[in-house]
Amino acid sequence: MSKMMTVDILSSIKGAEPSESVNKLFNIIKNANQNNNSNNAVNNNVVSLNDLREDVVIESSKIEKEIIVENFPKEKNGFLVVAKVIED
Amino acid sequence: MESQIKKIHQQLMSKEISCTDLVQEKLDLLKQNTHNTVNSLLEETALELAKKVDEKIENGQEIGLLEGIPFGIKDVYMVQGTYTTASSNLLKNYKSSYTATAIQKLLDAGAIPLVKENGDSFGHGSSSENTIFGAVKNAINPALVGGGSSGGSAVNVAKDFTTFSIGGDTGGSIRQPAGYNKVYGLKPTYGRISRYGLMAYASSTDCVGPIAKSIEDIRIVLNIMSGKDVKDQTSYASEEILEDAISNASAIKTVGYFKNFIENEAISPEIKQDFLATIEKMKTKGIAIKELDFFNADVLVSTYYTLAMAETASNLSRLDGTNYGARIEGENLKDTYSITRSENFSEESKRRIVGGNQVLSQGFSDEIYLKAQNLRNQISQRFSEDFNEVDVILSPVTPANPPKIGESLQNPLAMYLSDAYTVGFSLGELPTLTIPKGTETGLQITADKKKDAQVLQFANFLNDIL
Repeated sequence: MSKMMTVDILSSIKGAEPSESVNKLFNIIKNANQNNNSNNAVNNNVVSLNDLREDVVIESSKIEKEIIVENFPKEKNGFLVVAKVIED
Repeated sequence: MESQIKKIHQQLMSKEISCTDLVQEKLDLLKQNTHNTVNSLLEETALELAKKVDEKIENGQEIGLLEGIPFGIKDVYMVQGTYTTASSNLLKNYKSSYTATAIQKLLDAGAIPLVKENGDSFGHGSSSENTIFGAVKNAINPALVGGGSSGGSAVNVAKDFTTFSIGGDTGGSIRQPAGYNKVYGLKPTYGRISRYGLMAYASSTDCVGPIAKSIEDIRIVLNIMSGKDVKDQTSYASEEILEDAISNASAIKTVGYFKNFIENEAISPEIKQDFLATIEKMKTKGIAIKELDFFNADVLVSTYYTLAMAETASNLSRLDGTNYGARIEGENLKDTYSITRSENFSEESKRRIVGGNQVLSQGFSDEIYLKAQNLRNQISQRFSEDFNEVDVILSPVTPANPPKIGESLQNPLAMYLSDAYTVGFSLGELPTLTIPKGTETGLQITADKKKDAQVLQFANFLNDIL
């Protein structure tokens, strides 16, 4: 995709525009001094390959399924209704 | 103050009070309260659970320490079958289909959930005014904000509506309202408590933590909720913190404080004076004090918000009205997404989502997002260096007293800057506790990663001298 997307499209929020207050925060980062030696990511919560959780399928309980259906925004004749899909 | 949990436990065991009466009394207080702390009451379940505890006691059975203890839950935690609204329009009718690990552990220990608590929508705010349930009013002065984003949780504890509450802290959301309402609030080391079932705001700093009226209650609840969870791969196994281990702080010899937090124009003269008086008191008790240099508060705030906004833009992209939430139909799928999100998010949430998409977008990510990541690493590295020289770091919780209700909404930048003293420790993933002493909005005690016990230890020491 070569076309630049605007923030209202990226955010799916109609007419969204950057906020002045938030831009002030970003400007501080732009102007902050940066130490290029600091590339040892101290904060990385990396999960070791030996510590990955098992890939298992767990059947949802009856009540879980009922609540998921209850949460669905729209139902018609016993079917869950999704919004119309378009291609552009 | 003595442990409320232990006191109630004794009263239940000796049949001085019944669990049903206790729970009913708290439910009545919550119903009548005018501080806007309640999003929904869990009345039926609570009374059923209380009846079971009473039956057990009547039959002469032993009950666990947390069995029958009433508590509150910030409305961002999944508890199966309860409304979990995140104080937002988008999820105002959303019900959890499963239960968060931390909450499940409390339920397994027999604690009784009473209420889903009000706060800033999706954790977005520092005042608990960004909510569809009405601004949370401060426990001490209702004209002031309750603090955010776990404002309802802090006020409920302060007013004795709950014995303890579970808040969520991303940039200070437990510590700041705890300070504003004069109770204890702990942000544990990142990963000590599983985040599974906590609605994600900024995943790399989100923490589950307790709010209570005593250090002992914080310790008890922390122990129950801690532990590695396969459902949260950032969680880690931790040891139980024993009561004896935190009663003696003699191992803490050097305390540091950031002088640029104190020698700053933004700090109120009273908070500065009270903080320095605390430092002097510590000196008289033989504690060595070290002044530390640190990043400017505005760099800390900007780094935190840049990363938090980027993460929230990503985390909240799932909220589009497709599978759950208050969908508003448009002409087509994209239009449905847009209208649903435009109408249902608060102004503050939209501001943060847009900011997040801005920093993650082409042309901005290098000069802002990646630079903020780099700054975060530098901040963390600096903390590591500091903890080679001092045992704990002490700081005020906030630079100023709680604002009046309405003030924060008019000035978002001022609200972001009010988090100046809390966000740095979040970026460093460090355990930090608010204690309701030392300044008008309390003091923060911070130790190195995974040294949560040391934080509680020093809190006991400060309690004795202040």
